[in-house]
Amino acid sequence: MTKKKSLLSDQRFIVLLVIIALVVIYMIFSPEFRKYSSILSMLDFSYYDILMAIGVTFPLITAGVDLSIGTGLVCYALVAGRLVRDYNCPVALAMLICVLFGVVVGAVNGTLIGVMGLPPFLATLCTCMITRGISSMVMATPWPTNKQPGGWFHSIFKLTFGTGRNALKIPIGFLVCVILVLVMEFVLNHTKFGRYTIGIGSNKEALTLSGVNVKFYHVMAYVICGLFAGLAAIAYAAVVPTVQPGTGAGLELDAIGGVFVGGVSATGGYGSVIGTLAGVFVIVLLKTGLPYVGLQANWQQIITGIVLIGAVMIDVAKRRRMAKEQ
Amino acid sequence: MDKIKQNPFVRKVGFNRVILFCVLILMYVAFCLMVPGFFGKARIMSVMNYVYFLGFLSLGVTFVIATGGIDFSIGPVMFCCGLISGYTMVFKGAPVIVSLIMSILIGFLFGVFNGYLVSYWTIPPFIVSMASMNIAKGIAAVYTKTQSISWPLSTDPVNGWFRNLVSYNGFPVGLVIFLIAAFICMVVLNNTKPGRYILCLGSNREAVRLSGVDTKKWEMLAYVICGTLVGIAAIFFVGAYTTVQPGYGDQYNNEAIAGCVMGGTSMAGGLASIGGTVIGVLIISLLQEGILALGFAKDIQLIVTGIIVIVVVYADVMARRRKN
Amino acid sequence: MADAILTMEEIDKSFPGVHALDHVHFDVRCGEVHALMGENGAGKSTLMKVLTGIYTKDSGTITFEGKEVEFANTREAQDAGIVIVHQELNMIGDLTVAQNIFIGREFMKGFKIDDKKMIEESKKLFDELHIDINPRDKMSDLTVGKQQMCEIAKAISHQAKVIIFDEPSAALTEKEIEDLFTIIRDLREKGLAIVYISHRMDEIKVITDRVTVMRDGGYVGTLITKDCTKEDIINMMVGRVIYETPKTESKVAKDAPVVLKVEHLNAGRMVQDVSFELRKGEILGFSGLMGAGRTETARALFGADPKTSGDIYVNGEKVTINSPQDAVKHGIGYLSEDRKRYGIVVQKTITENSTMATLEKYMNGIFINKGEEKKITEKYIQELATKTPSADQLVVNLSGGNQQKVVIAKWLVRNCDILIFDEPTRGIDVGAKNEIYKLMNRLAEEGKSIIMISSEMTEILRMSDRIVIMCEGKKTGELDISEATQEKIMDRATRDIA
Repeated sequence: MTKKKSLLSDQRFIVLLVIIALVVIYMIFSPEFRKYSSILSMLDFSYYDILMAIGVTFPLITAGVDLSIGTGLVCYALVAGRLVRDYNCPVALAMLICVLFGVVVGAVNGTLIGVMGLPPFLATLCTCMITRGISSMVMATPWPTNKQPGGWFHSIFKLTFGTGRNALKIPIGFLVCVILVLVMEFVLNHTKFGRYTIGIGSNKEALTLSGVNVKFYHVMAYVICGLFAGLAAIAYAAVVPTVQPGTGAGLELDAIGGVFVGGVSATGGYGSVIGTLAGVFVIVLLKTGLPYVGLQANWQQIITGIVLIGAVMIDVAKRRRMAKEQ
Repeated sequence: MDKIKQNPFVRKVGFNRVILFCVLILMYVAFCLMVPGFFGKARIMSVMNYVYFLGFLSLGVTFVIATGGIDFSIGPVMFCCGLISGYTMVFKGAPVIVSLIMSILIGFLFGVFNGYLVSYWTIPPFIVSMASMNIAKGIAAVYTKTQSISWPLSTDPVNGWFRNLVSYNGFPVGLVIFLIAAFICMVVLNNTKPGRYILCLGSNREAVRLSGVDTKKWEMLAYVICGTLVGIAAIFFVGAYTTVQPGYGDQYNNEAIAGCVMGGTSMAGGLASIGGTVIGVLIISLLQEGILALGFAKDIQLIVTGIIVIVVVYADVMARRRKN
Repeated sequence: MADAILTMEEIDKSFPGVHALDHVHFDVRCGEVHALMGENGAGKSTLMKVLTGIYTKDSGTITFEGKEVEFANTREAQDAGIVIVHQELNMIGDLTVAQNIFIGREFMKGFKIDDKKMIEESKKLFDELHIDINPRDKMSDLTVGKQQMCEIAKAISHQAKVIIFDEPSAALTEKEIEDLFTIIRDLREKGLAIVYISHRMDEIKVITDRVTVMRDGGYVGTLITKDCTKEDIINMMVGRVIYETPKTESKVAKDAPVVLKVEHLNAGRMVQDVSFELRKGEILGFSGLMGAGRTETARALFGADPKTSGDIYVNGEKVTINSPQDAVKHGIGYLSEDRKRYGIVVQKTITENSTMATLEKYMNGIFINKGEEKKITEKYIQELATKTPSADQLVVNLSGGNQQKVVIAKWLVRNCDILIFDEPTRGIDVGAKNEIYKLMNRLAEEGKSIIMISSEMTEILRMSDRIVIMCEGKKTGELDISEATQEKIMDRATRDIA
């Protein structure tokens, strides 16, 4: 019965090819893109997307969604940033607050969806607006720069040796992200939490009848998502000079789009975190790469939207074909 | 209590609608008592400005929610309509009438796009909304080169006349248009074939399909109606607030959805009340005016509507659970 | 005689409008297979759901291993040792076989799930049961029969003391049923108590020790299987309700015109090369076991599911049916087996449901003519004797039988000449059943042609003029009512052609 799966039928492999193709195209058309500094800045701006995407993979596998991560991360970064600026809060504590804040919002989302039974998009649309409302009431805050006290947190994402133009910068954040991806891939495939996440998306009824505490794990999926939104807030604060109040709407699209490109089914039940990583990279390349080939940055929203629809269309077409074969 | 429920008028209008209307009146009285000078025509006109555009958004999304779907691209699409048609008028010299038609047409096209993907491609509505929200923002930003657009003022001799659609010599023309539109929507939903099928398929799509009804067509129509109404909403938005900025508009999604679900339209689909939506919109508009008048930041409105939607939808979920 | 390990006494349970269980008594001993029998809707499944904590009982006591118990959910019941093998499969398609079997009680190695051990344990289980399934396969890739085997393996792996089989054989082939019986005998040897719910009389005689019969939510009696005959059990099941004797000959004239001809219909695995004819005024029975492909055939014919090939002729003319719209256009109406999902919109009124397929006839320009609509609905409410206070009643408030009448009204308003009744009396109480039968006969006499899919043998033998039998997606026989017997039908329905 088991069919040998060819490499080409694995969406992750195809996505990898797309990434390579995009990089090659950019390199051919833009000498600018070939520079190390371009790659570095592209990576800088990819971390928060990757972190958000890792988190949101879990709600999406349960056939839910979390729309609050974009405005959420801005909100966390703002609140924590204010604490650092105006209340002498140590940066480490501020980072912890970001993560805790994320976990709390995640728990709220999870409770609304998993326990109270609200439609996921609606519940998280509301928390999206609520976090945005909160963040609008906080002043714009820059986190400490590299050289200021407390600037050490930048080295989580980028190690800088030396100063000025000759400074050697190593994008260590990428390594951090890859490690997190591998950890979460393990969590998804080899822990109870991961298995039940898949179960909720695949057949929630059956899981309940198996005596699993479905509500708890359903909430946990959103908590994990919130936790990663908190981590993304730190990455966001590290690259965006000043976090602006009331922004962040639309950031979630990059992450969610990446997850779907990475092969998570729109109806839940199947997904992989490694695929998510690959998918996000497609989005990031499209986003940051467009100016290099002479397109306005504004095109990125349009293209991300189209890529998202395209990825889901592929999934729908695949499922239709499978249904026909049966 | 039961006596009131049995009253023929109350039964016809719906008990919840009556309650909602009482809430509206009470809110108004409360704001009048709390804020000196809240009572009076000026405040009401200001509330009405909000009602016009939000009302059209809410009417539109009522149709979509009735099918059991969702559209939260309406706010950004409204801005997209206002931006593109406004830019064409201000920078390319198109007459205002062309711009108005253009605005409605853009809304219509987004409706077609959303509806086609949701009904013929069976892509979950929230994904389609997410995508078209960003596409709308992107297109508007690309077309206007990220500039804000200010529509002509009523003093403008050539194009200023369109503001008469909102108010003419202090007479709220907009309110009349909105109420006529609401009435038409009510008739469409309750007394025509599209309305009947939209409501039924929202309740049980497969049963309707197996009755030999082209459910895809009617489902798509709901999104198209929604899109068209969003295009009209854009006209009233610029008529009341003049300036549109690219990259925004999503704050109105929640308010439109809130107005709709408060009025008794169920997120699960199949149940919709246009009358309820109208009252819901009035409440939301009054609320935002009241919040400003009380001296709070406008952003509190985001939080308040967020909580309102959660509470109202949860009540609906609970009511359904009890029934089963 | 051994004491009962599980005793249920005076169990009472009501749902709004239905007295589902009326002071039912049931017990099972270690080392016995105890059959629970009764027609559809007799309350067997409800009783088992009360036992395993899916429903809470209104009154009565459950004693398990000498202690009174009340389980809050299936988990508690499982932990105590009472496991149910569900009629509907409860599998998570995206996980593997081993992962499914141990779902909810995975072997752990610290944080990590010990998948290796789970696969080994599954293999051991399968070896013990002589089942050939690779525990690494994805569940959704298995056939229904194999999924059922996994479900059984899962139940056994629970260290169960009581296993409840809810119609386990419905989807299995004869070979698989034999395997199942071997397993059940084996379990009996080991001293487990087994509750076996089934409709199939021959199985009951082969495998069970005692039989308890239920009827209309009430307890009828318990018999020792080897001391009783099939007729005894049937008498207890049907009780005082007098069943009409089977039809002895077709009521259709030999030369009645063929109104529907289906040739070489193919649609996936479940419909393979099915051909048949339907004559005017005929009731054509479709018999077969669950999963034989009858519903799938009907749905493909009706355009509800895509078909791969096949020709359909209506009144001698070849027609294209790609969607229910096409089918309805050609005068075909379909009454689904799952009324609530596919037949009616429960949250809408009788009127709205009745004119669903015919709305264009009740238009006044662009507006719906609500007066006309109501008139026609009321006409059919009277004609079908639908019990309702008014035509504006929401369908959700009607009983099963009356809901079915609303669906029938929908197609009669449309004036369909060909009607497909898929399990028309499922979940309908006995009185309403008879009304539906009478109605079908009347429709046939009026010249409508009916395809009736039914899993109840008595229903097939009583109603049909001709019987088509299906097995595993293929047509395996066609009998005129004059030559049809239960045995002949069963023989063809279980024929393993592969």
